[in-house]
Amino acid sequence: MNSKQKYIILVALILIAVVLIWWLVSGGEILSKDGIWVEQEISELDKALGLEPQKVYQEKFILGLLPHTAVFSGAVIFISGILILIFKSKKIKEKK
Amino acid sequence: MNTIIKTFILLLAAVSMSFAQGFKVKATGEQTFNFEDKRNQVKFFSTTPLEDITGISNDVKGKVTLNVTDIKSMKGSITISVASIKTAIDLRDEHLRSENWLNAEKYPEITFSIKKVGDVKVVADNKLEAKVTGDFTVHGVTKETVADVTLTYLDASEQTKQFAPGDLLGVQAKFNIALSDFDVENMVVGQKVADEIEITATLRGSNAK
Repeated sequence: MNSKQKYIILVALILIAVVLIWWLVSGGEILSKDGIWVEQEISELDKALGLEPQKVYQEKFILGLLPHTAVFSGAVIFISGILILIFKSKKIKEKK
Repeated sequence: MNTIIKTFILLLAAVSMSFAQGFKVKATGEQTFNFEDKRNQVKFFSTTPLEDITGISNDVKGKVTLNVTDIKSMKGSITISVASIKTAIDLRDEHLRSENWLNAEKYPEITFSIKKVGDVKVVADNKLEAKVTGDFTVHGVTKETVADVTLTYLDASEQTKQFAPGDLLGVQAKFNIALSDFDVENMVVGQKVADEIEITATLRGSNAK
C-alpha cells in the first residue's frame, strides 16, 4: 500500500466518522425524518372539554441512518475503493 | 281498568327515564354538533421492536346528534381523509397513500359511524364515559369496532365563545384495530409496522347553526 492509498483510506474514514457523529448528534434515528411531532400545551378550554394534549407537526430534517448516512458512507467506500485501485494500477505500471 | 293501564304506562315511562343517562346541563332535547375545527385530530400509533410510528390527521369532519338527557340516542359519523395523514417522513406518507397500503386514490376516506352507545358512566354533570360501537371503514372494508369514549358538554359561555359560538362537545376516543382485518396486508406489517394500530381521536364540536 503506497502513501496515496493510505491517504485515501484516512480521508474516507474521517468522512464516515463525521457523518456518523452527525447522525448520532441528530438523534440516532434509523430513518431520516422530514418533520417532528411536538406536543402542544393544553389550553384551559381543552382541559374543560376533557381533552388530552395534542401534537403538532413541524417541518424539520433529521438525519437518519437510512437512507442518508448509509448511502453517503457507501458512496465514500465505493469511491475510495476505485481510487485505491487506480493508484495501485499506476504503481504496477510504474514498476513495469 | 283505564287507571291500571295509565299507571302501568306512567311506571314504564318512569323506569325508562331512570335508565336514560345523559348530561345535566342547561341545554335540553336533541342537539347536533359539527366537528369542523382544524385542531381536531385523529392519531394512529404503531409500535414494533424496530420502530414506533405516529400518523396524524387534522383533516377531520363529522356530525353527531344526541339527546342531551339520553346519551344512548347518539348517532352520527366522523371522517378523515387518508391523504392528510402525516407520519413525519414524506416518503413513508407516499407509501401509506399507495395501492400497497391504504390506497388513497380508491379509498380516500376513513370513517367511524356510530351504531350504539353502551356502558355509560356518569363522571360529572357534564362528563360521561361510554363504549361506543360503530362501523369503522378503512381501505374499503367495514368492521364493527368499539371505542372507549369520554364526552364533555360545555354550555355556551364567555370561555367557549373564544373557540366557537354555541355549546361545545369535547370527544376523547380510543380504540384498536388490526390492519389485517381491513385487508391491509404488506410484507412490512408485523415487522416495521404493527398489525395492531391504536387510534386516538381528540375532537371539539359546536352546536352553533
